[in-house]
Amino acid sequence: MRRLSRWAGAALVSALLGACSPGTGVDPGLSKDGSGVVAAIAGEPDQLDPHRTSAYFSFQVLENTFDTLVEPDRNLDMRPALAERWKVSKDRLTWTFTLREGVTWHDGSDFGADDVVYSYRRIIDKKLGNAWRFDGVKDISAPDDSTVVLKLDKPMYNLLSRIGGHKGLAIVNKRNVESGKIKTHPVGTGPFSFDDYNPGESVRLKANPHWWGGAPKIPSLTFRFIPEPTTAVADLEAGEINWTDNIPPQQVERVSQNQDLRLDTAVGNDYWYLTTNQDRRPFDDPRVRRAIAYGIDRKAIVQATQYGNATVNQLAIPRTNPWYTAYSPYSHNPRRAARLLKSAGVRDLKIDMLVTKEYPETVVAGQVIASQLGKIGITVKPREVDFATWLDKQGKGEYDMLMLGWLGNLDAEDFYYAQHHSKGNFNFQKYSSPKVDRLLEAGQKESDRKARKVRYAQAARQIADDASYIYLYNPDIVQVWAPQLKGYKVRSDGAVRFRDVRLAE
Amino acid sequence: MMLRFTLARTGHAAVVLLGVTVVVFTLMHLVPGDPVRVALGTQYTPESYQALRTASGLDRPLISQYFHYVGSALTGDLGVSFRTGEPVTLVLLERLPATLSLAFAAMVIAVGIAFPLGVYAATHQGRISDTIVRVVSQFGVSVPDFWLGILFILLFSSTLGWLPPSGYVPLTEDPLGWLSRVVMPATAVGLVSGAIITRFVRSAVLESLGSEHARTARAKGLRHRTVRRRHVVRNAMVPVITVIGVQAAILMGGVIVIEVVFAWPGLGRLTFDAVSARDYPVVQGAVLLVAALFLLVSMAVDLLYARIDPRISIR
Repeated sequence: MRRLSRWAGAALVSALLGACSPGTGVDPGLSKDGSGVVAAIAGEPDQLDPHRTSAYFSFQVLENTFDTLVEPDRNLDMRPALAERWKVSKDRLTWTFTLREGVTWHDGSDFGADDVVYSYRRIIDKKLGNAWRFDGVKDISAPDDSTVVLKLDKPMYNLLSRIGGHKGLAIVNKRNVESGKIKTHPVGTGPFSFDDYNPGESVRLKANPHWWGGAPKIPSLTFRFIPEPTTAVADLEAGEINWTDNIPPQQVERVSQNQDLRLDTAVGNDYWYLTTNQDRRPFDDPRVRRAIAYGIDRKAIVQATQYGNATVNQLAIPRTNPWYTAYSPYSHNPRRAARLLKSAGVRDLKIDMLVTKEYPETVVAGQVIASQLGKIGITVKPREVDFATWLDKQGKGEYDMLMLGWLGNLDAEDFYYAQHHSKGNFNFQKYSSPKVDRLLEAGQKESDRKARKVRYAQAARQIADDASYIYLYNPDIVQVWAPQLKGYKVRSDGAVRFRDVRLAE
Repeated sequence: MMLRFTLARTGHAAVVLLGVTVVVFTLMHLVPGDPVRVALGTQYTPESYQALRTASGLDRPLISQYFHYVGSALTGDLGVSFRTGEPVTLVLLERLPATLSLAFAAMVIAVGIAFPLGVYAATHQGRISDTIVRVVSQFGVSVPDFWLGILFILLFSSTLGWLPPSGYVPLTEDPLGWLSRVVMPATAVGLVSGAIITRFVRSAVLESLGSEHARTARAKGLRHRTVRRRHVVRNAMVPVITVIGVQAAILMGGVIVIEVVFAWPGLGRLTFDAVSARDYPVVQGAVLLVAALFLLVSMAVDLLYARIDPRISIR
């Protein structure tokens, strides 16, 4: 015991000595020299390896440091990025990308086709989270230093949005990966390069003067982590930061009327939905699911959860997306809902609804939905669990009803296949429709864009009619910045790009 | 004598710390939610799940995980964070200065308020001023610090524009910058702690005023003021120091919500993030560190007692 206490004493002393050493880092975000942009995001990146992180806060930073082969423009159409152009073979099975000349990494070394091959193989070989995006890619090769060839098993018409729609498919630097430094000191080819990191506080990037798209007009870009939205807005008003997307929903109205701030919104590409466990009675009966769809009032849900900052929708895809289809079969109609329940022979239904504080909208919506469905004779009991438990229950099918959102989709397939194909990876509600399966498979194989759109629209309508998901709304993307920040545009895919902005005097 | 006392207390502290590891370890594993599943998020595949589970040792029996943990903790190795892969010891030490400096400033404010107010109220017992102090301190005890914090931001930053709303500058680099940023969070927390301490100071001084030796001192013909300073207040210090010690230790634990409100990169915020991410190693490390600080403060308090009141033996 004596030895133990000496050890503990030594540990304490060394911990305290460590505490007394001067703090690390130099006040990055708070520079008042007016040269760079300081943006406040609501949380801290878990790590900066684009292939391994799944945190939204990481991608906000990485959007500005890494490039993909192609990337979505403001209308979400795919445009050249590291690849200058591409062509598709006659049999539609070979895609040849020609890379941009003269691109360099942030460390000064040359970028080439090997880097693309290395990055994609890393995702596939290590079975990283985005590996599924290469399903159906048979081979990746680099015949010369500026050409990359992707060979497919079967035609895949959304290949471009698969490799360009998500920074998780960024092209990374082999040396950076193998040294392990990519987690904390990423080296990319993007408009800004990594400069400094202060844990718990901020990450600072500096302009990459050699960026292929032209040097950014601001010398530095600092992301500060400010979790409390009231604080973030106060910081913006005080001139401590220049931009934030962390605004309390109830303050959007007030901030939009502030002449000293610029606020803009876009209909987001994300969607929120309600679903029921179709493995359980009586949700295996589509009439019961439809009754719920008629029984809820989407507008009231949007008002309660988002303070109105969302667009109600009865399909997944928002109108800002090129794959949008207009379709809204359900009005708020409690009488019709009650009739449907009666015809299904359901009376005094008591169900639970999984909600989680980590997504507070589900907690609020749970109460609203409980009161709405109460009126048609369904007693909803929200069951609040932490998100880890939530995921677990969802995966095991231990729930009656739940609500959650899907983020970061671009192509029609992203919105429907994994969620509603009977073999889809995320079909936790156990929906199964041979007709929808057929349509979704056809959508994958179809080459003509218009014909594809028709297929997906048919599938989407069927999904809504069957109430596999009961779609609720697309949340607005709300961002606010100081008037000195010029050239900033809110994007519906939520990508936060500072490459074109400048700071006016 | 003093040395033996200190050693005995250190031994005692080590046993308590060991107990803390058992409790935290058990609790963390009882909390529902699979940390590996959370760490992977959308990167989840059965293969990556198995790989991370094995790599973080979570596939081994609980008891062997525990002994492994304590064994490495003794050498200063608290494992690596599930989320970032960085050594927990390093992560904690990075955050410690921010929390210590905030706790220190808050204590200065708390004690600075509590002493004069408490003594004043006690020596004016029953008068209006006493009642005011008691009502105000009751209010201070009941108000949540984060609410005060948000109120301060709205008043002093948004409306008056006097102070920066958030952020942290190390004291060693820019004392003025540090001061301008610490004053709001420290006051928000300090007012609440101060209110608690005020009530203790008041009742301790009251008790001491009525005590035998105070009466004896007065009977000896000493002036009121001298009695108050030399006998009453000094005697009242023992219970007061205990409360201050407890309050200081609580602050060291990182005032979780206040650190979130003011974007202060301290232990509280780290713990907050780590708990929601089921980052076991970081949560365990943070709790262990806070427990160690707590014990250290209580040892310091005990030593102080002995200095103030010679009757307290240090055997």
